[in-house]
Amino acid sequence: MAAVTDFDRALAPVYHQDRENKYGLVDWLTTVDHKKIGILYGAAGLIYFLIGGLEAVLMRIQLALPDQNIFIGDTFNGLVTMHATTMVFMAIMPMIAAFSNYFVPLMIGARDVAFPRMNAFSWWTFFFGSVLLNSSLIFAEFPAAGWTGYAPLTSKGITPSQGIDFWWAGLTMLAISSMVAGVNFVVTILNMRAPGMTLMRVPVLAWMMLVIQFLLAFSFPPVAVGLILLAFDRTFGTVFYEYTMGGDPHLWQHLFWVFGHPEVYVLILPSMGIVSEILPVFARRPLYGQHAVIFSGIFIGFVGFGVWGHHMFTSGMGPIADAVFASTTAIIAIPTAVKIFNWLGTLWNGKLSFPTAMLFAVSFIPLFTIGGLSGIMHANAPLDLQQHDSYFVVAHFHYVLVGGAIMGLFAGFYFYMPKISGKMMSESLGKIHFWLFAIGMNVTFWPMHDLGNRGMPRRIYTYPADAGWNVDNLLATGGVVLMAIGTLIFVYNLVTSVKGGRDAGRDPWDASTLEWLCDSPPKVHNFDFTPVVYSERPLWDHKYSPDMAISVPTQAEEIHMPSNSWKPMYVSIGILMILVGLLLIGTLPFSWLLSIAGAITIIASLIAWVTEPV
Amino acid sequence: MAKVAQARSPYAVLVRSSAKSLRFCLSPTTRWAGRMLRTIQPIRLPDWYTRQFGLLSPARTGSTSRKSLLSPVLLIAAIIAIAAVAGCSTELAPRDTHATISDSGNISSFFYKMLLYVDIVIGVAVFGFLAVAIVRFRRAAGDDSLPPQNHGDARLELIWTAIPTVIVVVITIPMLVGLFQLAKHPDQNQKIIEIDVTGKQWWWDFTYKSGTANGLQTANEVHVEANTAVVMNMTSSDVIHAWWIPRLTGKRDATPGRTYPLYFTPLEPGIYDGQCAELCGASHAVMGTKLFVHPPAKEVEVEYAGKKYTLDSYETWAREQMASSVAPATPELEKGAKLFRDKTCPACHLVKGLEGAESAGQSVTTGPNLTHVGSRMTIAANTLLNTPQNLAKWIQDPQAVKPGAKMTKIAMTPDEAAAIAAYLTSLK
Repeated sequence: MAAVTDFDRALAPVYHQDRENKYGLVDWLTTVDHKKIGILYGAAGLIYFLIGGLEAVLMRIQLALPDQNIFIGDTFNGLVTMHATTMVFMAIMPMIAAFSNYFVPLMIGARDVAFPRMNAFSWWTFFFGSVLLNSSLIFAEFPAAGWTGYAPLTSKGITPSQGIDFWWAGLTMLAISSMVAGVNFVVTILNMRAPGMTLMRVPVLAWMMLVIQFLLAFSFPPVAVGLILLAFDRTFGTVFYEYTMGGDPHLWQHLFWVFGHPEVYVLILPSMGIVSEILPVFARRPLYGQHAVIFSGIFIGFVGFGVWGHHMFTSGMGPIADAVFASTTAIIAIPTAVKIFNWLGTLWNGKLSFPTAMLFAVSFIPLFTIGGLSGIMHANAPLDLQQHDSYFVVAHFHYVLVGGAIMGLFAGFYFYMPKISGKMMSESLGKIHFWLFAIGMNVTFWPMHDLGNRGMPRRIYTYPADAGWNVDNLLATGGVVLMAIGTLIFVYNLVTSVKGGRDAGRDPWDASTLEWLCDSPPKVHNFDFTPVVYSERPLWDHKYSPDMAISVPTQAEEIHMPSNSWKPMYVSIGILMILVGLLLIGTLPFSWLLSIAGAITIIASLIAWVTEPV
Repeated sequence: MAKVAQARSPYAVLVRSSAKSLRFCLSPTTRWAGRMLRTIQPIRLPDWYTRQFGLLSPARTGSTSRKSLLSPVLLIAAIIAIAAVAGCSTELAPRDTHATISDSGNISSFFYKMLLYVDIVIGVAVFGFLAVAIVRFRRAAGDDSLPPQNHGDARLELIWTAIPTVIVVVITIPMLVGLFQLAKHPDQNQKIIEIDVTGKQWWWDFTYKSGTANGLQTANEVHVEANTAVVMNMTSSDVIHAWWIPRLTGKRDATPGRTYPLYFTPLEPGIYDGQCAELCGASHAVMGTKLFVHPPAKEVEVEYAGKKYTLDSYETWAREQMASSVAPATPELEKGAKLFRDKTCPACHLVKGLEGAESAGQSVTTGPNLTHVGSRMTIAANTLLNTPQNLAKWIQDPQAVKPGAKMTKIAMTPDEAAAIAAYLTSLK
């Protein structure tokens, strides 16, 4: 076993224009470094995760007992809407963006993403969009039409509240951010791989990121169109969704769900990738059927575009459309099952050890399976007529998104933090976090299956005492307390580990992919020399097969890293100005002047952007 | 000799030649498939396949000093324990989605049971393999040896792709049959109760279109007959709602500008609760509805919420409801009726037979029809029991009962509210 520290003896590269690794405020504001942007995304995602969690706790307090009057009416609906919007768009997606930003270039042996300034633009657009959306609480009130925002509940006549305006404006910015990031990462993964890294040698996490970037790039345009139509309806009095004038409320549902379902796979595939990275490391063997896992991910991505109608079985599309969407939905079960079997195959005959990262990764399998099994029930259209919009669905998607996506992301944090900060997270705190969260998660969401079976609809702020829902609701609220405590312990663990953790070294887990070849934390240019790859486990082969060791070149490499830039942020501010100007129409006279100023800002900054030397 | 004779039999020649040609036609495909599979999944350890299933052959070493098995096993145990506590209660909930009482509801319940068994089998298999793997293949302390470094097995991949495929096909075919059954309009030659349903923020308007009750309008409480097919035409006048009685059948969206049908034949007389299932604004949670399934002929006694109620036959009920409202019989009721008019209630509410409240014209659908409001079990969309006290409370401050309620809050003294409530209660 060759020591990884051999690389310390590598020749110092020649820098053309080096960027020092500084951490001042200006450095964070102007950074184009994929690692710093990843950290920004991760921090934002965690903060929003806490906010979204707080909203969930408030909802569960209201629902703990029947006939309570703490948060009722549109206050509760606002919590419902913001909990889902926050968790989907501002917690899980930026956490995914964090892993994708930080680790995709490292995993494929690249020095940065293909378009570093575009990457910074994605981040700032996300940041301003999410702040704009949440500022609705300060300037107006929370949007209260559900994260699905079904027309015509969002129309100006029925919901005059400006909260909806903040909602479409914020989501439009998040959509722009995601589409740009999608294009950027597709190009990065396809073009910037290290020599010898064929597509089949790309790590599974990077592969899943590639799949979701395609999903982002193709699924966000429909919802962006839907949001812009909504903006026109509310701001300029058009009638796209106005049934009395020939518009159609179902248009929104189709535009939303043709985005909304691929979005679900955007949330879950990266966690599947993280699990596929972690299981082999702690089983000390290759991922079983790696190609099958990759291809099933691609298959899910493709078929995911053809199943959106299963959110609309009760809307009256007719039996033919229902039959098609029900059948395509059932097909999704096949690649999902293949993935689960291959993870079991990885564990089988391995040498398993269970640090916190592995606990979260292993628990992903049963929890996600439960979500998948209730998904099989929803794919059955006649049965879904009963379960649709009931707590059974709430249980289903929380098993998939908490038991699946969040468990996978937690696993990722414990697994990858040593690389990001160079320090280990505490294992004992980690295990407390795991048990509190895993048990709390089940205590919260399992009874919701029962609530759905007992006929409790979702998104209701109160329920009568005699409906038979009291025990389950109380249990669910109790579970949320466990999850909340677990999450706070996790945040404490994460923050303290950055300063006080044990040094991690290059390769604390005896892992097999290229990111563990870099320093912890990696240098600005990631790799002193570009590694040449001969298998899908370059580092493992280096350590365990002497004839496949990664060779250190004798010639020093010339490295050129792009310099920091303000321009991406300026363009994002221009977009923010346009949207704020639009949503103030009718409230503030001449607010459209702000939009025009925003457009000028964008054009000026873009000119400065393209003429700026890098 | 015998061989030759056999080969010459025309039947044998046909079989052999067609088998040959079939093989010839398929061989490029099979060869291609085989090549593809080999490129996708190179088999590095051919004997691995047998060991994979050889539960008896110990592929591991140094299993004496294992770590505690507790942690991962506990998780699975915890899930099962919670399932046992919360999921498997046998007591019948008042809105149980699987104790259905209609033909179409029974289709949904059937699929629930069918898929529950399928899910249990799959779940036990996956959880079982996971538990065995976690227990059997734990790394012993100080064990630095490497496990098998194989990358998979093409045959296993094929098998575990084929198994879910077969399951998906097997469960999808009956689903399609059930789906089209649900969408079938009932036979036109039999008696059908047809009801137009309009969802409104935040109550339900039912207009009967057939039989004795033709033209009748009720609010929030809908009455049908056991063993008679019902066609409901769902629509909405503001936002999307969804009408859902869990014990009856699946929900159907009420979409503004569109009308979609819901078909069912209730089979069991009784009183069943439900509510709106699609987020429709501030008072979505208190947009309830109630279904009364009347017996076809004689009256029957049914149990609801722990009490006994007598349900007339559907025809009797319909005849009573078609009558005009009773005239106020006492001076107190007369005073209530006058207040009802003076406080401009008839601007939104129709009371058939009450002078000054009949000619409400087009505004009649703004609020519920109150002609027989006294005969209703609940008011405010199944939110409050229909008592004079509750009625007075609702009339005085609707928004206190339902946030954002569209009914105008009209200034009145408690005595005035009580008088109006007394009059409305008399409208049996």
